[in-house]
Amino acid sequence: MKVTRRDLLVWSAGAAAGLLATPVPWKVLDDVSIWSQNWPWIAQPARGPVGVKASFCTLCPKGCGLRVRMAAGYPVGISGSKAHPVTQGALCPLAFAAHQLNWHPQRLRSVRHQSRESSWIDAQNAFAKACKEGSVVVVDGYPGRAASSLLQSFAEKQGGSYRVFATPELRSLAPYESWSGVPASCLGYDLENAKTLLSFGAPLLDGWGTPGRVSRMWAERAAGRHDPDLRLIQIDAELSRTACRAWRWVQIREGSQAAFASGLARALLEQNLVPAHGPVPPITIAEAASQSETSADVIRELARTMVEKSPALVIARDNDPAVAALNVVLGSVGIRGGVVRSSRDPQKHVSADEPIARARAVLIDSTVPWDFAPPTDAEVYRFAAWDGGPNKADWVLPSPGFLEETTDVPTGPAASLESYAIAPAFLKPASDVRSIAQFLADSDRTMSSIPKIIHERCEDIFHRRAGTVYGRETSPLGKFPSVQKLEEELRNGAVWMGQLTPPGNLRCELNEWPSNSNRIAPADRRADWKADWIAPVLPPLASKLYLESTLREAPGRNA
Amino acid sequence: MNARYGMVIDLDRCTGCGACMMACAAENNVPALPQANARKGLTPVLVRRVSNGKQGDGRRETFIPIMCMHCEHDTPCVKVCPQQAVEVDKATGIVMQMPQRCLGCRYCMTACPYHARYFNWWDPAWPPGMEKSLNPGVAVRMRGVVEKCNLCHARLHAAKEKAAAAGKREIDAGDYIPACVEACATDTIHFGNFADENDPVTKEARSPEAFRFLARLGTEPKLYYKSTEAWVRELAEPNAAAELEHV
Repeated sequence: MKVTRRDLLVWSAGAAAGLLATPVPWKVLDDVSIWSQNWPWIAQPARGPVGVKASFCTLCPKGCGLRVRMAAGYPVGISGSKAHPVTQGALCPLAFAAHQLNWHPQRLRSVRHQSRESSWIDAQNAFAKACKEGSVVVVDGYPGRAASSLLQSFAEKQGGSYRVFATPELRSLAPYESWSGVPASCLGYDLENAKTLLSFGAPLLDGWGTPGRVSRMWAERAAGRHDPDLRLIQIDAELSRTACRAWRWVQIREGSQAAFASGLARALLEQNLVPAHGPVPPITIAEAASQSETSADVIRELARTMVEKSPALVIARDNDPAVAALNVVLGSVGIRGGVVRSSRDPQKHVSADEPIARARAVLIDSTVPWDFAPPTDAEVYRFAAWDGGPNKADWVLPSPGFLEETTDVPTGPAASLESYAIAPAFLKPASDVRSIAQFLADSDRTMSSIPKIIHERCEDIFHRRAGTVYGRETSPLGKFPSVQKLEEELRNGAVWMGQLTPPGNLRCELNEWPSNSNRIAPADRRADWKADWIAPVLPPLASKLYLESTLREAPGRNA
Repeated sequence: MNARYGMVIDLDRCTGCGACMMACAAENNVPALPQANARKGLTPVLVRRVSNGKQGDGRRETFIPIMCMHCEHDTPCVKVCPQQAVEVDKATGIVMQMPQRCLGCRYCMTACPYHARYFNWWDPAWPPGMEKSLNPGVAVRMRGVVEKCNLCHARLHAAKEKAAAAGKREIDAGDYIPACVEACATDTIHFGNFADENDPVTKEARSPEAFRFLARLGTEPKLYYKSTEAWVRELAEPNAAAELEHV
């Protein structure tokens, strides 16, 4: 039989049609799908010994207690430490993915000089030359650490100055510093003993202060109750997250906080709700109502509500003297449940925003927000672990990332109790990085070292014999037999908490009612949730909150 | 004894911080891809912000964490799955999703009345080196499958292993807590076993303030919500739900 080309075509077509009726093509399709779903380069978790270590978050000055789950020597999960007396297991949303940050694509891995690759030797030489030629200004975003002491002593030795980039919580305490003479870094809000909290736009439930401190207290004392033990009143221009959950939300015009606070003070005095002493606000209640787009009745009624449940504590969003003066009128300064003085060493700092008169070099620590640009012509050395985009600094110097260096964790901003902890390094730095303290130590061999300063601080705490250590067990400090034992416990994740100072050790005198000259920039409430985040980038998982859902506003260009 | 794990979510306490979403994603190795968006993303827990629709002083808003409701009766996703990739675990009451069986038809996504299921549109990927930060207790799911909340099943396994190592048949309640519950700073999400009459969540679910979304469908979800606000409770009703305003 002769096979023609036509026969071949017919058989081929028949075979192809017949094949479709068999499972073969479908099985092949299925297998290809499965194979392509499981390429060898698809990420798989690391395997190795698993354990849990205690530490503290160093990505903002709040110092939350962490439980870090480790596998194969790497952190694979973060949760809040329930043993921490302040945070009690609570964390900000970003902290849950902080362990991803060290592998962020924008991690800085090499020295850059004016946007070009350089080396540590060149940076060191340039800095040594600058030190010889003039003074050095150092800017710190996380004051009170052992590293901060080094920065301060170096700046003073060089004839320069040490400056602090303050958080909004710390800035809100600045008026009390000018009225009492006590540095703002030693002041705090005694939220735990307050009965009424009047917040002027402060995001108390959305990133303000140490995350667990406010949220846990609010959940226990106020959430879902019509007559709560703690009344949270939010004065805000819009229905912010805190206003959503507040006992009461009072809507005022944006930027009229000072006028509204002055009107409230006037209403308190006119209705004899507080003892009349000190200056009377120059604004009438009607004027305050007009400026804030509320009514005089609302202001009078709110004044009565404030004193119904005392002590009432007023918290400003930022450095707002008129709002702060309301606490003075209410008598909420130097009392339990008011503005209190902690037992910290008084340290007055120069603000980072102050103009720099003359300096040859400015060193900016990695704890200062990336966008901070000092008003200076001096050579700027910027330390950072992540690249946040264009920056005016002459030198960009890579520093250790999350959990890559041992650092101490001092009292957080606006805390009423002094605290101290040590966050140990769990990870070897991924590349050739140096912290600002190492850099300065390389420049000046006579300087002290961070382990030595940490030990000195432990000694100082030990000799006070007051306070409690919260670790695997909770023990009074007096039970520790030696400094070494205390330091060992702190290095294993324990935290020391001081005691509340006796009331009456803080007095504020107002000579005149504060004017509205202190203009505060309009609040960007959408950024509250990451306002204090030191890193200029967010963990990739944070995109769940703003990209894969509409829960949060998208961050700026940096993340 | 068979368990019936579930939750009571107290909406009066939720501040919408998003910690539950982050903790869930980190615990379960959910990738975050730059090409993902609100329609194609993976959010096994999704916190929605809703309002009462009013303006000015009368406006009220609340946050509602939405996740798989672990329906007990006529579970819609189980009924439609052609691959038997979804099943209700009789020992725990957890609605389980098995990615190895899933062929990606997405019938279950269509059937789910709560829109609590998500499709893996892309290969899971992380920036180089970041795979070291993945949780070794949870396998990474492949592209082309559906996934959802499984009440952190890996944590249940770990609790069972711990109990077995101690020679016990039952796990300690404190050893099995889903990541979202653990992460919540305001104690909004309460987790427990509805099969246990003495479990606080069982009592809480019977309070007059407790409700379930789309309860009329009769799927018996094991996620209860609680609110003292009448307008929030009304959102569970079908007509109100249609008018629910996303902020």
